[in-house]
Amino acid sequence: MLRSAAIAIILAPLLLPDALRAQGGDAVRLEVSLVADASRQTGRIPDVRVRGLLDDDRWTSSLRSGLPLRLHYRLELWRSRGSWFDALSRTVEWDVVVRREPLLDQYSVTTVLLGRTRHRRYPDLGALDDALSTPYRITIRPEDKGEFYYAVTLQVSTLSDADLDEMDRFLRGETGPGPEEDPGVGDAVGRTARRLLLRVAGLPLMRIEGKSPKFRVR
Amino acid sequence: MLLLLAAVPLRAQDSVIVIDPDAPFADSTPGGGLPRSVIDEVLRAWNDSTAVRLIGQAEIPAGNTVTGHVAVFRGILRVAGTINGAVTVINGNAVLLPGGRITGDVLVVGGRLVIQEGGTHEGDAREYWDIAPVYRDRDGQLAVREPHQLTDLGTAEASFNLGDVRATLHASTGGTYNRIEGFPLSLGPEFAWRPGPSDRLRLDLTGIVRTTTDQAGIRSDFGYRTRLEWRNLGEIGFGAGIEAYSVVTPFEEQNLSLAESGWSSILLQRDYHDYYDNQGFGGFWFVEPARQFKVQLSLRRDRERTVRANDPWSLFRNTSNWRSNPLIDDGHFVTGGIDVTLDTRDSRSLPSRGWYVRARLETGSSDDVAPAELPSEVRGPIPTDGSYGYSLLSLDARRNIRLSPESRLGFRVYGAGWIGGDPLPVQRRQSVGGLDILPGHDFRAVRCGGEDDSDPSSTSLCDRMVAAQVEFRTRLSLGWRYRLREGERPDLDRIIGIESADLVVFANTGNAWLTGEGPGRVPTNRLPSLDLWKADLGVGVDVGFVAAYLAKSVTNGEPIKFTVRLQRRF
Repeated sequence: MLRSAAIAIILAPLLLPDALRAQGGDAVRLEVSLVADASRQTGRIPDVRVRGLLDDDRWTSSLRSGLPLRLHYRLELWRSRGSWFDALSRTVEWDVVVRREPLLDQYSVTTVLLGRTRHRRYPDLGALDDALSTPYRITIRPEDKGEFYYAVTLQVSTLSDADLDEMDRFLRGETGPGPEEDPGVGDAVGRTARRLLLRVAGLPLMRIEGKSPKFRVR
Repeated sequence: MLLLLAAVPLRAQDSVIVIDPDAPFADSTPGGGLPRSVIDEVLRAWNDSTAVRLIGQAEIPAGNTVTGHVAVFRGILRVAGTINGAVTVINGNAVLLPGGRITGDVLVVGGRLVIQEGGTHEGDAREYWDIAPVYRDRDGQLAVREPHQLTDLGTAEASFNLGDVRATLHASTGGTYNRIEGFPLSLGPEFAWRPGPSDRLRLDLTGIVRTTTDQAGIRSDFGYRTRLEWRNLGEIGFGAGIEAYSVVTPFEEQNLSLAESGWSSILLQRDYHDYYDNQGFGGFWFVEPARQFKVQLSLRRDRERTVRANDPWSLFRNTSNWRSNPLIDDGHFVTGGIDVTLDTRDSRSLPSRGWYVRARLETGSSDDVAPAELPSEVRGPIPTDGSYGYSLLSLDARRNIRLSPESRLGFRVYGAGWIGGDPLPVQRRQSVGGLDILPGHDFRAVRCGGEDDSDPSSTSLCDRMVAAQVEFRTRLSLGWRYRLREGERPDLDRIIGIESADLVVFANTGNAWLTGEGPGRVPTNRLPSLDLWKADLGVGVDVGFVAAYLAKSVTNGEPIKFTVRLQRRF
C-alpha cells in the first residue's frame, strides 16, 4: 500500500493530464522570437518578452503585500549539434525588480542593464503590465557557423527575507554591517527557521522557459 | 510638492529594450546572477593580502592619501581625499565627494558608484547591482555563500572582536542525530587572529554535550574538539595545524550524508551509519596550489573504542529497537593520510557542471589492537604483537555535464578498500547497498558477512568496494499550486505548490568483496566477475530541497524501493 502510494507520487508528474498540470501556469508566457541581425546576413538575435505576468494574481497579491518581485532572466545561446548533446555557447543574465510604493500608490520598476540601474514608475497595474511586457532585444550572436537556438529562463520570485534586507539597504543608499555580520544566536536560529518555513510553505516562486526556433548561420 | 514632482509616473513605453552585452564599460553579464568571473574578481580583490580592507562605513578624509588597492565590504566608502589605486566595493556603495580623487579602476558590486560634482575618477568604472553572494569566513576571507539546505537546520553563531582577535561563539547540533549520542550538541568559542597581512591563526575550542547517556557507561556524555590552525593566504595557499579530540566518529562514509542519516534517525529510527569512540590527537599540513585544488597530509594517534547503541527518541517506531552498533577492533592506532581534492563544480549543493575528485591514501598501525572476532572466512587472525599495519585507498570521482538548457548528465565512480599490509580493521571495512550507492537494494546488501550471517548490526566486512552511478536529469514544468484563502483579506492569501522539478532517471552498479586467495575471494589484482555485480535502475523527482526516488534491482528479485533524499545524490 505504502509502496503504491510512493509510486503514484513519483509518477504523477508524468501521468497527469496536461490540462491539469498546466493550471495557472500557462497564463504567463515567455516568448522568444528571432529578428534579423543587421551585422550578419544569416544571423538572428533574440527578442525576449514575458506576457501575462500580472494576470497571475500571486504576483499582484505579493506586490500588494509589500513584497517586491524579482524577475531574473537568463538567456543562453546553444549550438545544436544534431545529436543528444547540444553545446552552450554563451549566457547573459539580467534582473528586473518591481515594487509597490504604498505612499505614492505607484509601482516602481528597477531594471538592471549593463550593470547600471534604471528606475521608472507606473501609476497602475495596467501600465506596469505593459512595461513588464516590453521585449528585450539582446545583441548576442553566434561567432561560428552552424545551427543555433536561444533558450531563456525567467525566474519570478518575491525577494527573500535576506534579499529584502539587502535591497532595502541598497535602495535607501544605506550600508553598514548586514545582519549576518553580527547575528545574535536567536536571530540566526530564527532566520534559519524562517527560510525553512518559506521554502516549505510556499513563498511564491515561478520558473518559466522559452526557446527560439533554430536558425542556421552560414 | 517636491515629493509629487519626484513621483510623476512615466507613462511612455519603450518599444524594445536593447541589451548589448559586448558594449564597453560593463562586463558581458549585467545585473542579477552575478557572473562567476566577477565573483572571482571580488574574492581575489578582498583576499589579496596587500589590499587595504575596510568593513562597514569608511571615509578617506580630505587631505589624506591612501596608496594601493582598497577593498570595502558591506559599507559606504566616502572619498574626500585621494586613493592612488584601484577600489573594489562589495555589497556597498562608493561615493566620490567634492575634491575626492581615485586614480585607479573602480568595481562596485551590489551597490552604486556616485561621483559628486568636484569628485575625480581617472580609471574605468564598473557597477553591478546584484548583491555578491559572499560572506566573510572565520579567517576574515571572503567565500562564496552556498544556498541554504534543509540540512542546515540548527546552527547559530555570534561574533565579536577582542582587540585584534575575532571571537565567534557557535552552537550547533553537530549536523546529525544518531543512536549513539542522540543530538551531539556542539558549543564553544573560536578565536581568529591575523598575525600578518597574509597569515591567519584560528583556535577552535568546541565542547560536545551528548543528549543520550551511554547505557553501557563506556563513553562520556561530554566530548571535545580542539584545533589550532595556521593558514597562509598567498597566491598558493598553505598551512598547518594540530588538533585533539574526543568524538564519536562515523565510519564508511559513502552511505548517506550525516545530515540525512540524522533526519532518518530522528524520524524513522533508521540510522545508516556505524560509529566508534575516538579520542586522540594529530597534526596536518596542506597546500592549495589553486582555489579548486588541495593536497593535505595528516598524522594522528587515536584510541578507537567500540561504543554501544543506545535508545534515543524517534518520532516514529520509537518502541522498536535500534540496530546494534558493531564491535570494532579496539586499540590505539597511528594513521597517516594523504588527501587530494579537486573541485571545479559550479555549486557544491546543486552542481550542474564540473568535476569533483577526492582521493585518500591511508596507512595505519597499532601496537595494542584487540581484534573483534570475525568469521574465519572473512578474516584470519591479525597480529597483536605490535606489528599490525594496513593500507587503504578511497576514490570518489564525480562529473556533471549540461547537455541542453533543461538537462544534465552526471557520473560518479566510488571505490574504497584494502591495498596492502594486514587485513583491514572492522572500522575500515566496506559494503555496498542502500540508499546512496544502490538504492534498489537492501541496506548493505553485499557486506561479506560469511555463510552463517546473523550479525544484528549488519557490519560491513568486505575488503574492497567499487560502485558506478549515472543519472540523467531533465526539468519538468509542473505548475502545481494552490491558493489558501484566509478570510477576505487578499494580503493574507497564501500559495503553496511546486512550479518545477527535475525528473531524474538513474542507474547504479556496484560490488564489494574479500580479497586474496581462497574460496569466495577475489585475487588482489582483479575485480569480481561482472555477473556478480549488483545493479539497479530508478526514477525520481527532485524539487530542489527534497527528492523522492523509486529504484528497482535488475540483478535480484527485490521489490521496488522508495527513497526520500534531502540533497542531490551526488
